[in-house]
Amino acid sequence: MYQHILLPIDGSAISLRAADAGIALAAKLGARVHALHVVVPLPTIPFLDEIIATSNFAYEDSARVAGNRYLDDVCARAKAANVPCLSSLESDATPQRAIVAKARLLGCDLIVMGCNGWRGLDRLLLGSATQHVIVHGGVPVLVER
Amino acid sequence: MFKHILLPVDGSELCMHAVRLGIELARTCRSRVFALHVVAPYHAMANVTELLAVGETAYTREAFLHAEHYLLAVQTLADSAGIECRSDSVLNDHPHEAILQTAHAQGCDLIVMASHGWHGVTRLLLGSQTQEVLLESDVPVLVCR
Repeated sequence: MYQHILLPIDGSAISLRAADAGIALAAKLGARVHALHVVVPLPTIPFLDEIIATSNFAYEDSARVAGNRYLDDVCARAKAANVPCLSSLESDATPQRAIVAKARLLGCDLIVMGCNGWRGLDRLLLGSATQHVIVHGGVPVLVER
Repeated sequence: MFKHILLPVDGSELCMHAVRLGIELARTCRSRVFALHVVAPYHAMANVTELLAVGETAYTREAFLHAEHYLLAVQTLADSAGIECRSDSVLNDHPHEAILQTAHAQGCDLIVMASHGWHGVTRLLLGSQTQEVLLESDVPVLVCR
């Protein structure tokens, strides 16, 4: 059955619920997990620097710090369940692309993620990242509600 | 973990692939499954009834015979895997509606379904019924391609 489960997390409550489900399933199947957080870089628009109080670098730094915190959280949960867990932090303007690429690179055979993340009207729309991963991921996707 | 898995069955090869995955998962998690086939009522086929040589009674009888055939295939797979399988076939204009109602009524905690049904992978990015289930489900959905 599934042996290598990818857990894309964006830090939202639903993505952490999905991570918990993925870890529980991995424990049951004797599988390992890989937690992935994708930082979305701020688009570089010249006049924006005057409008936003922080520079691109500061944003990226704090986004990475937050991302590492989410990953540490998930790894701790995996460890508590005796599930082997590795993690990585990526930067990509379209997170879904990084998720699909990572799954392919690692040879994951299942992806577990939330139905939507921070953005989108809660239960009215299917998250664009989730939709993309289902269509292009090449492996089954367990969508957490 | 997952104790009662709902397997929507439309009889297509894509769905049987998802059924096999669902049964394997049930075997590993020691859960039971519920197989559901949804028959489109005669009036829902209104645009083709002029072409159909049969009346409502004959159509419905045929449709439920097909249902029995599909569900028996699932039962056979479940029996081979040593897992408990109950099933039902219902009339509904909108398969996703029946799927969600059944998941709720049967207390299922996971739905395993194909990304696409009879129309296949060519026309839509994501099958319409899978999309609807993903939007409205209260329980996680494992989407298989």
